Amino acid sequence: MIDQALVVFDGVVKRFGGFVAVEKLNLDIRQGEFLAIMGSSGCGKTTTLRMLAGLEAPTEGEIRLRGKRINDLPTWQRDTPMVWQSLALFPFLTVRENIEFSLRMRGVERSERRKRVDKWLERMQIGEFAERNVAHLSGGQRQRVALARSLVTEPQILLLDEPLSALDAHLKIRMQTVLSNLQRELGITFVYVTHSQSEAFSMADRVVIMSRGRIEQIGNPQDIYRAPRTRFVAEFLGSSNIFAGKVSNVSEAIVRISTPAGEFEVASNATRHLSKGDKATFVVSGDRVLLSNQPPADGLNRLQASVVGEEFVGATAVIHLEGAEHIEIKAQKSHDELERLNLEPGAKVWVSWRPDASHVLPGE
Amino acid sequence: MNDFNRNRAVDWALKLYVLLSFGFIFAPIVASFAFSFNVDRFPSLPLGGFSTIWYEAVWADPLVWEGLRNTLVAGAVVSAIATVIGFGAAYTDFRYNFFGKTVYVALALLPPTIPVVILGLAMLAFLSSIDLSGAIYSVIIAHVVMCAPFAMAICRLRLSQMDPSLEAAAWNLGATEWMAMRHVILPFCRPAILASLFITMAVSFDEFAVAWFVSGLNETLPVKVLGFLQGQVSPRINVIGTFVFLASMTLIILAQILLIKRSASPAAATNTGAVPQ
Amino acid sequence: MRKSITFYGLTLSLPMLVWQVLFFLAPLIFLVALSFWTVQNFRMVPDLNPDNWTRMLGRGVFWQAYFRTFLLSTSAAIVISVLAFPCAYAVAFKLSETARRWAIFLMVIPFFTSYLVRVYSWQIFLSDNGIINALLAKVGLGPFGMLNSVFGVMVGYATLSLPLVVLLQLFSLIFVDRTLIEAAHNLRCGRLRTVFEVVIPAAKVGLVIAALFCFILTFGDFVSPLYLGGGDPPTLSILITDTTKSGQQWPRAAVIALTMIATLLAVAFATVSFAYRERGR
Repeated sequence: MIDQALVVFDGVVKRFGGFVAVEKLNLDIRQGEFLAIMGSSGCGKTTTLRMLAGLEAPTEGEIRLRGKRINDLPTWQRDTPMVWQSLALFPFLTVRENIEFSLRMRGVERSERRKRVDKWLERMQIGEFAERNVAHLSGGQRQRVALARSLVTEPQILLLDEPLSALDAHLKIRMQTVLSNLQRELGITFVYVTHSQSEAFSMADRVVIMSRGRIEQIGNPQDIYRAPRTRFVAEFLGSSNIFAGKVSNVSEAIVRISTPAGEFEVASNATRHLSKGDKATFVVSGDRVLLSNQPPADGLNRLQASVVGEEFVGATAVIHLEGAEHIEIKAQKSHDELERLNLEPGAKVWVSWRPDASHVLPGE
Repeated sequence: MNDFNRNRAVDWALKLYVLLSFGFIFAPIVASFAFSFNVDRFPSLPLGGFSTIWYEAVWADPLVWEGLRNTLVAGAVVSAIATVIGFGAAYTDFRYNFFGKTVYVALALLPPTIPVVILGLAMLAFLSSIDLSGAIYSVIIAHVVMCAPFAMAICRLRLSQMDPSLEAAAWNLGATEWMAMRHVILPFCRPAILASLFITMAVSFDEFAVAWFVSGLNETLPVKVLGFLQGQVSPRINVIGTFVFLASMTLIILAQILLIKRSASPAAATNTGAVPQ
Repeated sequence: MRKSITFYGLTLSLPMLVWQVLFFLAPLIFLVALSFWTVQNFRMVPDLNPDNWTRMLGRGVFWQAYFRTFLLSTSAAIVISVLAFPCAYAVAFKLSETARRWAIFLMVIPFFTSYLVRVYSWQIFLSDNGIINALLAKVGLGPFGMLNSVFGVMVGYATLSLPLVVLLQLFSLIFVDRTLIEAAHNLRCGRLRTVFEVVIPAAKVGLVIAALFCFILTFGDFVSPLYLGGGDPPTLSILITDTTKSGQQWPRAAVIALTMIATLLAVAFATVSFAYRERGR
């Protein structure tokens, strides 16, 4: 594992005055992986990327690239090209001149520059715009220019700072495909910073979720989605119902957890050993919640709640409910299923789920 | 405010007032132009007849030529120095944060708010105490103090239109700070730098008070005009005024064209529709 | 890394600092020192003598000039602001986008024409047998003595500062939220009343600053009071030029200059705090 790490963040701290942007960050970035760093604004994801690019200096700790400490290496000596949120294309240069820029800065000879730029113009399918002013291109074309400009020196790593956030939905998906293919073909490391769950989960091999300068969870997208580690991650992913309480009873396969909304059974799992009296938080994802007007069958966790309202999400709907102690519950259902129920706002319904539909958060 | 809530008579009265204001502002400029071609020595209406004798008189006056030479030399040097240090200060304000920055910026921008008589007196007293007064370079030193703030303001405005990640992008692509300055910041600021050169030159061309204090025998053209003003009525003032007006206007219009042409070109394409396959 | 002091950063930032400290700050500080020097046998001698201050401030002529200058500039600030407002208002609210841009362009032109030449032109207009009196004579009026009067000075001051005042007022009016005006109309506030109750309060800061600039400009001007006002009784700026150019009484000129700076600072401070004073708590 160690020799696979291209970049190592070793206890990295970044403070701006009294504000801690990144707190004791330990992170290995592997050779050839597509890593997404995700979190809401101000979580430290962009600062982390900028430290790697050499645009911010760490306050403490060490950043190593291929085992070499790069804390004090200025950005222009690093070869860690970045694609910017604004793209930062030079408006006074043509497409070709933009792509050529880093070769010129490195003193590459004219004919060689031309050859390499031509190759990338073709690869990104922007050859016909080579002599155009970048201001006169469409959003997608500008993206491609920005990518070509960063990749023309054939670096080992590419940093991307929310490059797709300005695009419309359709173009965003198309560029996601372009990026995924490009990363696979080149076999280099992509570090992709985003606040968008769908971008991160659809492209990345591994996802890092950050909050308030700390890493909340690292893992592949399926694992994170199936087994969020902390309450923050569960809330960030958005679709889960979260219950916090105390363990009241432990048997072989079942743990009973008492919460303000009632006492529930949770199938015990390997991720965390629980004993009586422990604090515990578990989640139930919205699509595994059952709704009924009649009391549910035995063996299910249950509670009564009143309907707050419903929200249409394409083919399904999310029902918002409120249980005892103002506990918020969300259930995702198909429209067909909802028609069979009385869901007038204020109506009382039974909410239930199987014990093995819940997941105990190991980090809480 | 929609048309429904307007009163036509009031609108027309206000527009007429605007025209009158412009009339007041441009009357002396137009009159100076008209009387420069008037044959009479004592200006009155109706005009005496078209003539270029005053132009000939000015043309033949060696003192005017000397003044013009001083003005041009001072203007050229002042605009160059003021633009260089003004650009540096604008970039400093754009890029850096440091203790005492407010004082730095205030010091850079304050000179135009000090009355010219006071500035003139202070400069004269100070420069003569270190034996730098009474020469063309005295005028240059004083005018740079007065013009650098304008240069700084013009360049700062341009820098604020720049995507702040542009410079970092250049570093990231392998450019050192000096290379980024040369290949990114300066090309981006070029229209502002040219505009600053022209505008500071125009300011220096017209400045008479401080120049009058410090220039000694090396009078610039505006100082000569001040001298004429103290003497008797002379249509030469109109001739010189017309000349200086035309020169300044040329510079200003050039600067305007540079600034407008740049800001008119789209900074970023908003069209995200078409994608090449 | 970004924050550290570099050769690059210093090369760009120091020239301005050095130049303005050396040739702007130092002269002003020197002026303070100079005001304590003495003149012996027509030569200035460095000293720490408060004589210049006591002598200048003890003179009736000085205070006469001081109050005359202050009164002239204050009147100019008020009169020119009032005259400029309808113009700025019309350009801001009644003209089309294109016309407004042209108006702004035309207002900038005077900054780059010679003030001296324009003052000379006004002499032609205002003199006893000048253009205006010639026109008035045709309808059997006049002649009026407009040159060498307070009226002449005001015309000169307006020549100097009207374009700037209009521009500053204009920029503050342009940024008044149009919906405020519509809201006022909607609440049955009449057109003229809206101007006084909504537009002027909303643009207050800009309008006050415009008047302040008018005060500063006219307070230091010696050309209009001299060549259109006749220079008698003198203003402070005329006193400075006379004292400086006739002999070696620079220390006394320095006293006048420093009094002027003190006055300007006080006025600027008072005006700005008035402009930014908020209503309510």
